[in-house]
Amino acid sequence: MRLFTVFVLFCYSVIIGILSGFMISFALHRIQPADINAILQVAGSDMQIRQILFTTGVIFLTVHIFFITQIIGKWQRERTIAFKMASGVVTIALSAVEDLIKKATMIIPEIKDLKPNIIAGKKNSIEVNIRLTLKSETNIPELTTKLQDIIRSKMSELGIDADIIASIHVAKISAFEDKKSKSSTAEQTDDKEPSMPFSNYRA
Amino acid sequence: MIKDESARTEFGVIRIHKKAISSAAAISACEIEGIKGLGKDIHGQLLGIFKRGRDRNAIRVEIDLNGEVKIDVPLIIKYGFNIPEVAALVQENIRKNLEKTTNLVIKDINISVQGIERG
Repeated sequence: MRLFTVFVLFCYSVIIGILSGFMISFALHRIQPADINAILQVAGSDMQIRQILFTTGVIFLTVHIFFITQIIGKWQRERTIAFKMASGVVTIALSAVEDLIKKATMIIPEIKDLKPNIIAGKKNSIEVNIRLTLKSETNIPELTTKLQDIIRSKMSELGIDADIIASIHVAKISAFEDKKSKSSTAEQTDDKEPSMPFSNYRA
Repeated sequence: MIKDESARTEFGVIRIHKKAISSAAAISACEIEGIKGLGKDIHGQLLGIFKRGRDRNAIRVEIDLNGEVKIDVPLIIKYGFNIPEVAALVQENIRKNLEKTTNLVIKDINISVQGIERG
């Protein structure tokens, strides 16, 4: 992996060196637009140069993609909770804990949607921020207390002995259920066959 | 970095490749109840874009100059199982199986829980 990093740094330094040299030369009139045009025309007409350019471009692009994924991977790895066991370290991705909290709390029927966000603090604390969408006619204080209890118990089940700060933000109270039920009753009334006028009339 | 662990016998050298160690560790990890499967490393995630990284073993094995082995195991755990307990069982099973089958000295078995899924 170190060799790869050296190679990437070499590629980037070569590209930046060429680009900055070109920009300085162009600004100081060392390179004329006609020169660039001539170089581009030669490169465009020669098949071998085009092939070389294509291969170099593909290599640079591949290296760049790998480098970006490495950076993203490292960033993702940093978002973890770790604890020591007898045989080694166990790290839990915060996204996994978020997933666990979501699964544990979505069983509460009053909750329509829930988005947890966990931040590991520096001073042995874990901040759990939850954004809630509730169904209407929900007792919010009761529900939030229940939710905080679930979060604390789940975190202690994971073996996390840090201070847990569970913040709950009720973002929306949805009345979707009512609308749905109203629309379903409306559909039911529509489904009934319309009565024919004077259908019971007999001559 | 050493690519494989070797031992000399009277007939020649026996080499155990890192891939063999990683495969054995993968099997040992998946034996434990509560394990949904193995997670993916960066290369696996990248190959997953092209739908070719499914079978890639993401367990990373490092062997230092003293012949001690360090194993990084990314895991997906089933929902409802106690993560520290399952992780400890996985560490124990990997250590036991690898020491039994390869006679290697396992220094560290680092578990990283990447996700929780319903079984």
